[in-house]
Amino acid sequence: MDGSVRLEEVVMRFGDFTAIERTSLEIGSGEFFSFLGPSGCGKTTLLNIVSGFLVPSEGQVFIGGEPVAGVPVNRRPTAMIFQNLALFPLMTVFENIEFGLEVRGVGRQQRREVSERLLALVALEGSGPKRVTELSGGQKQRVAIARALAVEPRVLLLDEPLSALDLKLRQHMRAELKAIQRKTGITFIYITHDQGEALTMSDRVAVMSAGRIQQVADPMTLYRAPATGFVAAFVGENNRLEARVIDVEGQRQRVRLDGGALGELSGYAGEGARLGNGERVALYVRPEHLRPVNDASGVPRFEAEIEAVHFEGAWVMLETRLLASGEKLRVQLGHEVSRRSADSLAVGRRMAFGYDPADAVVLPDDGSPVVDEATGEVVETDRGATPAGGAHVPSA
Amino acid sequence: MFRQLRARFGGPLAAAILTLLGIWLIVMVTLPQLQMIDYSLRPNLLPAQVGGPEDGWTLANYITLFNNDIHRAIFFKTLWSSVLVTLLTLAVSYPLAWYLAKVATPRQAALCILLLIVPFWINEILRTYSWFIILAFRGPLNEVLMMLGLIDRPIRFLSGNGGVMVGMVYAYILFMVFPVYNAIESLDDNQVRAARDLGAGTVRTHRRIVIPHAKPGIATGCIMTFMLAAGSYAVPALLGSPGSRWFTQIIYNWFFEGGNWNQGAAYAFLLLVLCIGFMSLVMRVFKVGLGDIAK
Repeated sequence: MDGSVRLEEVVMRFGDFTAIERTSLEIGSGEFFSFLGPSGCGKTTLLNIVSGFLVPSEGQVFIGGEPVAGVPVNRRPTAMIFQNLALFPLMTVFENIEFGLEVRGVGRQQRREVSERLLALVALEGSGPKRVTELSGGQKQRVAIARALAVEPRVLLLDEPLSALDLKLRQHMRAELKAIQRKTGITFIYITHDQGEALTMSDRVAVMSAGRIQQVADPMTLYRAPATGFVAAFVGENNRLEARVIDVEGQRQRVRLDGGALGELSGYAGEGARLGNGERVALYVRPEHLRPVNDASGVPRFEAEIEAVHFEGAWVMLETRLLASGEKLRVQLGHEVSRRSADSLAVGRRMAFGYDPADAVVLPDDGSPVVDEATGEVVETDRGATPAGGAHVPSA
Repeated sequence: MFRQLRARFGGPLAAAILTLLGIWLIVMVTLPQLQMIDYSLRPNLLPAQVGGPEDGWTLANYITLFNNDIHRAIFFKTLWSSVLVTLLTLAVSYPLAWYLAKVATPRQAALCILLLIVPFWINEILRTYSWFIILAFRGPLNEVLMMLGLIDRPIRFLSGNGGVMVGMVYAYILFMVFPVYNAIESLDDNQVRAARDLGAGTVRTHRRIVIPHAKPGIATGCIMTFMLAAGSYAVPALLGSPGSRWFTQIIYNWFFEGGNWNQGAAYAFLLLVLCIGFMSLVMRVFKVGLGDIAK
C-alpha cells in the first residue's frame, strides 16, 4: 500500500494573505514525518490541504502517486486525529471506532472484530461498551487513534494530538505513537509546535516559519546543522553572535570571523550556506558546547560575568554577560564540569568560556529571533522587511 | 431557593420576588385552571338554578365530545394536523437552522435572522391575511404559476387543509428555527469534520452526528410548534375552509356563540390534556428530560 504524499508547487492564499508560500515536498510511504513550527506558521493549513478540508490555491497533491484534486474529504485515503480529538460524545467507544466501517457498509460482526483488535493495539481492551465521556484524557487519545486506524488509512494526519495531555502522559504517548506507527507501517504526518515531540518521534522534520518550509531533515541533522537562522534558534537552544566574515577556508568551509569587540571567532558554514568575505553573518553556539577554559587553551573564548545560576538537576544553566560586548550568553554545564568548578559558579564571578569551532555554525544573518514573551518560544526571525506573505501575525 | 435569592438580592427583595412568583402561579395560572375544571364538571344551568338540586358534579360535558361524531372527528383531525404542521415546520426549519449555525458567515447569518424576524413585527392577523391574499383563487400565486405555464387553471389553495398548513408553518417557524439553531450552533465543527474525514456523506453526518446532538433543540421546537398549532385560532379562522375546522373554533363557539361555558371548559380541558400528552410522548421518543428543554 503506497502511502507516499507529494506536494507539488502548492500555494495557499486566503484573500490577500498567503498562508503557504510555494512549497514542494515528498513524504515517503511509511515515514513518520513532522511539521514543526510556531502557531500560525501554516502547518495546520498544509495538513488540511492533504486531508482535503482545504483546496490549495495553486499546485497539486498526490497521495500514493495519485493526484487527489477533486477527491472530497470523505473519499481520501487519509484519516485525521484532531487537536481536540473530536470523539463522538453520544456514542460508545465501540461505536466511535466502528463509525468509519459502518459508513463503508461493513457488517456488524466484522466491525466488532476490527474494533476489538484495535482496542488491543492501543491497550484499551474491555473499554468498548463505555461512553467516551467516561474515559480519561489518555484513554480518549487512544480511542481517537483506534478510530482513525479503523478505516485503514494510507496516511494518518495528526494535528497536535498530544497538546491537551499533561507532561508525563504526553511523553508516554510519544513512545506509544511511535510504536503504533512502526507496527502499522502507515505514513504519519504529525503537526506540532513542540520540538521535543518532533525530534523524538520523527524520521524527518520540516521546520516551518511564516508559511515557508525552512529545512527538511532528520532530527539529528536539524539539531547539528541548521540551515537557517530560524531553525538554529527554534530547534533547541542557541547563542547567537553577530559577526563579519574575514575568510572562508577549505572544502568544509571553515570561517574566520571578525566578532567586533569579541575579537576573532571561527566556526563552520551551515549546510548550503554561501558566505562571502566581509558578509554580515550570525554565529550560533549551543549552550552545551560552551565550557570553562583556562588562558592557555587555543580555542575561541569569551570573558563573561555570571548573572544567574539555574540548577536543573542533570545540568547547570548559567546566564552570563560578555564583558567585551555586553551580549548575553547562556552556558550549560554538565555534572562533571559543574562539580569541578562548583566554587566558582556564583553570581558576579567572571569566567572564560570557550567552544570547539567544529560545534559552531555560521549562517547568513537573517535577523534576530522574535520570541513570544508568554511562552519564551521563538516565533519568527526578524528580517527587517518581512518576506513575501506580508505582515504575518502569529495567532495564539 | 430562598437562600440563594437572599444571598444575591437580600432578604426583602428575595421575599418580594418569591411572593410575586407565587401570586403569578397560584392566582393567575392554577386557580383559573381549577375553576375551568370545576365549570367543566357542572351542567349548564340557568342563573336561578345555580346552587339548586341539579347543580352537582357530572361527566356529561366530557361525554358530549365522544357522542358527537363531528366534534370527535375535528378533535382528532386537529391532533393529526398539528402533528403535520410540526413535521412540516421542522422540515423547513432544520436546513435553515443548519445554514445559519454552520454554513453562513456571521454577516449572512445576522442578515438572515433579521429577515426572519422582521415579518413578526407585524400583527399575526395581518400576516395571516396576507397569506389569504397570496393564496386566493385569483391571487398572485395562482397568477404566477399560470404565467410560468406550470398550471392551466387556478388551484383552490384555501379549500381543504393546504392554506391552514402554509399559514401555520409560516406563523410558527421562528419557534422551531431558534431552538434548533441554538442546538446545532453548540456542536463542535470538528465533530462534523471528523465524520466527513471518516468517510460519512452529508446524509449520514446529519443522521448520526448533527441530529443526535440537536435532539433537545428539535424536541423543544416540536413541542412549542405543536402547542401553538393545536391551540391556534386565528390561522384556521382566516385561512381555513368549512372543511378544515380546528378544535379551538369549536371551543370558541361553545363559549361565545352557544353561551355554554361549562361545555366549552370541558373541551378546552381536553385540548390541554391532549397537548400535555403529546409533549410527554415527544419527550419520551426523543429521550429528553424537562431539564434539556429548559436549557
